[in-house]
Amino acid sequence: MVRRSIVVAAASLTLGVGVAWVMFANEVRTASVLDVILVLVIGWSFIGAGLLAWHLKPGNSIGTAMIVTGVLRFLAALAQSQNLLLFAGGHALEVAYLAGVIFVVLAFPGGRLENSFHRWLFGLAIFAVGPLDVARLVFGGHDPQSCVGCPTTLVIEVMNAPGIVRALELALFGLGAVVAVSAFAVLLRRWRRASPRLRFAIAPVLWVGAASFVAVLLMVANHFLEEPTGDAPHVLLDVVTASVAFAFLAGLGRTRLARSAVADLVIELGNTPGPGELRAALARALRDPSLDIVYWLPDRDRFVDADGHPVALPDDDGERSVTIVQRDDHTIAALLHDPALREDQQLVESVCAAAGLAMENERLQAELRARLGELSASRTRIVEATQAERRRIERDLHDGSQQRLVSVAMTLGLADSRLASDPDGAQTFLREARAGLSEALEDLRELSSGIYPGILTERGLAAALDDLAARCHLPVGLVVSLPERLPDRVEIAAYFVVSEALTNVAKHAPASTVQVHVEQVDGQVVIEVRDDGPGGADPGGGSGLRGLRDRIEALGGRFVLVSSPGAGTVVEAEIPCA
Amino acid sequence: MRVVVAEDSMILREGLVRLLTEAGFDVVGQAGDGTELLAQVDAHRPEVAIVDIRMPPTHTDEGLRAAKELRHRYPGLGVLVLSQYARPSYAFELLSEGTDGIGYLLKDRVSDLGELAESVRRVAGGGSVLDPSVVAQLVNRRRMGNDPVDELTEREFEVLGLMAEGRSNKAVADRLFITEHTVEKHVQNIFAKLQISATTDDHRRVLAVLTFLNSS
Repeated sequence: MVRRSIVVAAASLTLGVGVAWVMFANEVRTASVLDVILVLVIGWSFIGAGLLAWHLKPGNSIGTAMIVTGVLRFLAALAQSQNLLLFAGGHALEVAYLAGVIFVVLAFPGGRLENSFHRWLFGLAIFAVGPLDVARLVFGGHDPQSCVGCPTTLVIEVMNAPGIVRALELALFGLGAVVAVSAFAVLLRRWRRASPRLRFAIAPVLWVGAASFVAVLLMVANHFLEEPTGDAPHVLLDVVTASVAFAFLAGLGRTRLARSAVADLVIELGNTPGPGELRAALARALRDPSLDIVYWLPDRDRFVDADGHPVALPDDDGERSVTIVQRDDHTIAALLHDPALREDQQLVESVCAAAGLAMENERLQAELRARLGELSASRTRIVEATQAERRRIERDLHDGSQQRLVSVAMTLGLADSRLASDPDGAQTFLREARAGLSEALEDLRELSSGIYPGILTERGLAAALDDLAARCHLPVGLVVSLPERLPDRVEIAAYFVVSEALTNVAKHAPASTVQVHVEQVDGQVVIEVRDDGPGGADPGGGSGLRGLRDRIEALGGRFVLVSSPGAGTVVEAEIPCA
Repeated sequence: MRVVVAEDSMILREGLVRLLTEAGFDVVGQAGDGTELLAQVDAHRPEVAIVDIRMPPTHTDEGLRAAKELRHRYPGLGVLVLSQYARPSYAFELLSEGTDGIGYLLKDRVSDLGELAESVRRVAGGGSVLDPSVVAQLVNRRRMGNDPVDELTEREFEVLGLMAEGRSNKAVADRLFITEHTVEKHVQNIFAKLQISATTDDHRRVLAVLTFLNSS
């Protein structure tokens, strides 16, 4: 690789000196100093830029294309030679390098011609500057007057046919004009479609390339003028062509600048970045204002933004690109960025490496925020559940015991009014009132045990569950293995897990049998309620289930509902006892 | 006297009907919600409608709204609203459109047959009925701190409460075992102390007293 570069550099140095000598050191001085300087600048700058591109972007064909273009430009200068063979060869290759310029400009920065239209343009350019131009010379297209002191014979000229030459020239310049205009249009379109990030990178090459196509057009136009203005368009083309290589170097330089941005980034991240600053710093370093960072939460199996809100990754299409960021083989984040950044994978990787720790830090914060968000949602739900519970109790009291008691009062009123006139009737009303009171008491008992099962405080979880199972209208298999009484909050949570699960089974799968297991394992109460019903319960659904989940998570526990159709439903909960 | 009863709880509705029948009223129609109530009143044209506040479909204040609707449609109809809770705001909402022929009673109050019969007759006759516990809440609110109410004697205070309940001088006199003339003098004193312009009209008197009690 390095050896190849050294060989190419040495060869091109020699070639440049040789060409300069051929142009300059002959007796007749066919070339001006300006000519020689331009040739050397173009040749060496292209070859030099090509070598640099080889080094910086291995595998990208632009480097090779630039080296070939530089060499072709040197060879074209041999048209100034006194040697008949070199003179003829130089003439044959006089404009061949223009095909190289077109390739470099069209293929920048990826190194490939994007579509068949571009490939067609390149093919036409090769055809024009190669076979067509050579054919023109073969049929006598060379004008011996164009160069004072040059050899008068062109060895490749086989006949002098001005008609054919005229036709070939028309074709050559017509084709040249078409290719130049089309290539200019391609560049214009590319510029308009480019994102800011891409524009920044391709701007120099794009504009200089466009200028070179304009110069080609001027050259063609000049040829068809009544009185051509001499060498000026050629010199202009040479100047602009020379700029192509420098523009290319400037493009590379911009990437280099971005590299130094990595160094800035490292310094910037040394001061702990505040919220949102990391994104801004990375956007600056990568020169992509549209950049977004999303963070991976492994235990939730999804990406979130810096605030902890879930984010769906965009499709990696033409609009946005996604780069997954890993640290120690673990995914920590993803960058959502301009697809143009893919041209500079190395930069993206170095930026990610530099910002890895900061991103991990930010990821942890995003995780924390996501957790806080969930926590506050769960607290809100707990408050709402409490209010709903109170509403339900008020309603139960209003519709149940209160009404019965009012009814008893009415019956007593009737008894009162009959007491004197109709003692037997009064006694009937009194008995009715007593029966009403018993019912009201029963209602109250039911209600209060729903609010808090008294047996739980009196006899503990095992007895309360036993009682619950006995009152349930389903066949319940109950296995409770608890060596000791548990803290109140754990007992009541466990009780309501079983109670709510049994209520759900009775409601949704009334034909099932239910197995309830409650045991203490490693400082946790593990509760499992399993039915053999139809399954298919919605794990997220039902305010009762969500309320249970909130309640258990508030105690630092875990709540899982597994219910696949046909396989029954299993409610599992673990509550830490400590 | 013909009455219509609206109450969604079957057990209470039957109890009410039994009590009203026992007290000598003729229950010509029964309803379980506001819409049904309007239809029953329209069909039977009773003298009094007895309406529960909380009824389907929303179980909030359907009865209150039905009562106001009834008062618009049938100006001469007496409306007695029953409630499980004594809420001054409901009472005011009801009385704000005129105190004649309107009543607001706690449900438990109806178990006293005599009280129930008297209340029904009072609203039928264009009088007003306000539950004593609502009056008590209003009065107690006024007794906090520096207030003209504090200047009333214990007896005057009793008279004020009974007036606020919608009772006439005669009824107050009967209640307190004093003469109507004495009641008259207490009323004048009360109005003077509270700086309410005196009025002989029972209905407007209730509203004046209530407005005073409710103002802060």
